Amino acid sequence: MYNIIVLFKQILDIDQMKIDEKTGEPVTKNLPYKIEDLSKNAIEEAVRVKEKYGGKVIAITFGGDQATMSMKEALAMGADEGIILKGYRENNPTLTAEVLATKIKTLQYDIIIMGNQSADSYTGLLPGKLSSKLNLPLLGNAIKLEMEGRKARVTRSGEQRDYVIESDLPAIISVEQEINEPRLPPLVQIMMAGKKPMKVEEIKVNVETYKKVIWNRAPKSDRKRVVFEDIDKGVEEISKVIRSEVK
Amino acid sequence: MKALLFSESGDLASQLLTLLRDKFEINAYILSKDDISEYGASNVFQIETSFPYADNLSSFISEEFKKWNYHVILMVSSPLTRDIAGMLSEILKTEAITEIMKLETGENNKFYTERFFFGGKTIIREESDARIFTFLAGLTDPQKVNTKSNVQKIRIDLKSRVSLVNEIEKPKSSVNLEKADIIVSAGRGIGKKEGLSVIQQLADVLHGEVGGSRPVCLDYHWLSEERQVGLSGKRVKPKIYIAAGISGQVQHIAGMRGSKTVIAINKDKNAPIFNECDYGIVGDLYVVIPKLIEKLKK
Repeated sequence: MYNIIVLFKQILDIDQMKIDEKTGEPVTKNLPYKIEDLSKNAIEEAVRVKEKYGGKVIAITFGGDQATMSMKEALAMGADEGIILKGYRENNPTLTAEVLATKIKTLQYDIIIMGNQSADSYTGLLPGKLSSKLNLPLLGNAIKLEMEGRKARVTRSGEQRDYVIESDLPAIISVEQEINEPRLPPLVQIMMAGKKPMKVEEIKVNVETYKKVIWNRAPKSDRKRVVFEDIDKGVEEISKVIRSEVK
Repeated sequence: MKALLFSESGDLASQLLTLLRDKFEINAYILSKDDISEYGASNVFQIETSFPYADNLSSFISEEFKKWNYHVILMVSSPLTRDIAGMLSEILKTEAITEIMKLETGENNKFYTERFFFGGKTIIREESDARIFTFLAGLTDPQKVNTKSNVQKIRIDLKSRVSLVNEIEKPKSSVNLEKADIIVSAGRGIGKKEGLSVIQQLADVLHGEVGGSRPVCLDYHWLSEERQVGLSGKRVKPKIYIAAGISGQVQHIAGMRGSKTVIAINKDKNAPIFNECDYGIVGDLYVVIPKLIEKLKK
């Protein structure tokens, strides 16, 4: 039996994101939110640990009111309880770590599972930050997780070799995409998940960081964009281009 | 400005030294015995330790940082240094900016950084008082200087709360996409694993390497992970990059943005890849590629 906390992030659906052609800036207005990709792997892994060894999964997200739908999805995937922490500000891992750590300290848990990076900002700082803040061992970048009594064992992928590492509980585990294939709960189940306990809380913290966005815009693509719809003509021209480049 | 550079390998350290030696006075700490004495570091420390891990290395680096009054910590981004950066930012109570491709120093100890955002769709430029930076690998090729660094070995025996149970050797890497001049990449559009043979044939004709998109490598496992081109895979910069059956998801584009000439082949006229290519053919790759091979063989 394990008490499992799973941390997930909700992000804008980047695949649907358009770029304003005049300014090069992303158009975020009216863009739907979704559960971040690696967070889904984290939720899946948390639920698998529960299914295999027994226990309970608490899903936590630092978001806002609009996080309700994502939380329902996490509950539909198999989490037992949801906690939405309000007050998210754009990409500030120091604030996020402080808020999450403050809440986590009030809970009972054996393992904390989370993604190793998020698909929008790619900072990857949160696992390390929480490990320091909560003074817990970090089993990072897991492609496999096994529990054995009061120990967690993780396979971690490296460039030349994989490492099997372990630590005592409680521990933090950050996961990579390879670890599993997240389940897709049917919509009915997502609707039903509204019956599971879900809390919305606000946590006041004081974090002083100085980081200011100067600009955020699509890199200018100076590609030629010569596109042929006539295959034979395209093959003709492109083989010339390739020849001149390869020689 | 004094900088502590930490790296797992000599190759990555020499890249970063080449990129930053004019900006900082750098001491390089590396987890290997590689000789990097000719890349402009003042001192090179070769770290020996029984089990290098994020927590014990973070303690070590933070102690060195305080002891020698370093101004900044520079690392090449990797799963290990990402964890270290997070830990260090809490231990040293300073901001960390990760996976950057550009660093400029400003007034009053401010730094300007540029990094990908929104999964590679945009680049974000930030001003911060961060002291910890991790850089994307492959931003520059290592170049030697005329001076030599002091080289010392240091042994650290800091305990980790994580223990190593086993190491599993992976099959030796057969490909170095980052250094390839020509890459032919396959996307979901190939439809089946067998489709790779036509991709391979084109690569063979061009003496190039085969790469793949995230779905092809990570979801379907039609190609090994080391061939995945993308923000979360390899960032490549060949002379010619041919994207076959690749729709052009941002995270893929971000991985091949450094390519000189990009050629796209896709059935779907509206595929985003056509906005990110120099030359494109709208058509079935199983029709287009054999024709292309035939032309190139002549």
